[in-house]
Amino acid sequence: MSATATLDHVSVHFGRTIALQPTTLTLEPGVVGLLGPNGAGKTTLLRTLATTLAPTTGRITVAGHDVTGTHTQRVQARRHIGFTPQEVVFPRAMTAFAFLDYIAVLKEWKDSPARHREVHRVLELVDLAERANSRVSKLSGGQRRRLAIAQALIGEPTLLILDEPTTGLDPEQRATLRNLLSHAPGTVLISTHQTEDIAALCDRVIVLSAGQVRFDGTVAALLAHAAGRVHVGPSASVGAVQTWRTGTGQIRSVGGEPAAGATTTEPTVEDAYLLLRADQPYPSGATA
Amino acid sequence: MSWHVTAPLWEAYTAGSLNTSAQASIEVHVTSCATCRVAARTYAADVHPLWDSIHHTVSQPRLPALLRVLRRWKVPERDLAVLGASDSLALSWAVAVGGALTAVIATAVAGARQEFTFLLLVPLVQVVAVMAAFAATDVLHELVTATPVNKVRVALLRAAAALSIAVPSTAAIGLLVPNLDGLAFAWALPALGLVLAALVLHTWCAPWTAAGITAAGWTALVAAGHSHLGEAGVQAGAACVAVALAAFYVVRTRTLQWGGVR
Repeated sequence: MSATATLDHVSVHFGRTIALQPTTLTLEPGVVGLLGPNGAGKTTLLRTLATTLAPTTGRITVAGHDVTGTHTQRVQARRHIGFTPQEVVFPRAMTAFAFLDYIAVLKEWKDSPARHREVHRVLELVDLAERANSRVSKLSGGQRRRLAIAQALIGEPTLLILDEPTTGLDPEQRATLRNLLSHAPGTVLISTHQTEDIAALCDRVIVLSAGQVRFDGTVAALLAHAAGRVHVGPSASVGAVQTWRTGTGQIRSVGGEPAAGATTTEPTVEDAYLLLRADQPYPSGATA
Repeated sequence: MSWHVTAPLWEAYTAGSLNTSAQASIEVHVTSCATCRVAARTYAADVHPLWDSIHHTVSQPRLPALLRVLRRWKVPERDLAVLGASDSLALSWAVAVGGALTAVIATAVAGARQEFTFLLLVPLVQVVAVMAAFAATDVLHELVTATPVNKVRVALLRAAAALSIAVPSTAAIGLLVPNLDGLAFAWALPALGLVLAALVLHTWCAPWTAAGITAAGWTALVAAGHSHLGEAGVQAGAACVAVALAAFYVVRTRTLQWGGVR
């Protein structure tokens, strides 16, 4: 399978702060989830791949074009990228259609009829066709988030980069978005705190912490890390990473020694993530 | 319905021999006339281009009046989409006309400091008008950066559209204000340099910050010796600075930062 994007020893420094440690990754077609706590370097990694932030060291390629090379190469790479930042502040006077039309022009859709067809296509995809002529200021938070995603979908990019795309979406909209992303061509790289989105959607998961890749593998491999380490019982496990009372009154414990009467239960991606975060050193098989 | 598309009209339409307005008239008519929609199936070998064209016509949002004027001047649709982004051009043109009027009034009441006031304000009207054109869409900076569009072209398009109103407005002032003599148009080359300086600064900071820094620098220069602005050497110097800033702007957008022009 050919790589959509590669990072070769890419690091990002902000003054003395290292936001991203030297990182080497190869992204192939499929949906890749990026997990990590706030400040882990997820957004930095996404912005660097989206060509909006220059790396301090290393080399990046997108669709075979060296992003870290010449300006021309970077422009070539941008033709293959769709990017939704974590926060999109819209000019409030614009309509949904005018906003997408503007972005489509910036994506070099020069022919007006074709461009307008593409705008209508992405509006349909995110279920905003009925609001095409509504001003952005009249849209709800979820609708604005879908509009931000729609602009990234213009032109069916080879590399779709979405920073927390499901924030502000209701369960139905999230399900619709999952369906949409699961059919997207090329590589979809999504950063999210919603572990259930990772479980439902991703072929591969990358966990970042303190600017380093702590895990890079399949969702099944991440879950395997937590197998046999999550328990449900009348009291909390000793030394558990996290515990909480469930709706049945039982205590669910992630990690630790199970208490008397506790039974082992199937771990979720969130359990595995919590265990991965807590484990020192990081488990064998994880890349750094 | 008072009329229907006749057979010769359909034949001319399908042959593509009608002028643009006649073609558009048929397309709009067909959207509201069931008889002609049926006839379209008869005359058009392939109706899809017709429907595509109709869809394009009816789905395209109506452009603001200012942009419809530009469309008549054959400005391409894609450029109109850029200029129309968030009414940025309307704001810019309002700032240009308002700034020109403000400059007239301030010059008129300045008394002995008439020349100083005129030369201080008029170039800054150009800077503020251009930066106003960028301000409305600045919030989209990161999104725009990730697109392949030629950012220099977009920036120059915005600047040119802003200056198309700002320059004539302020040039008229030079003709209206008495006793300026050789200084009436001495602002033009320095204004070009100032606009380019603001564009360069805008690659680092927000539009209004860039305008503020430029205004502060210009105020210091004018205070130091506004009476010399009309001299040939000073004008030549301003032209050289403008050329250097233009070159730096292009280089800056291509090499110094990935973000490039906002």
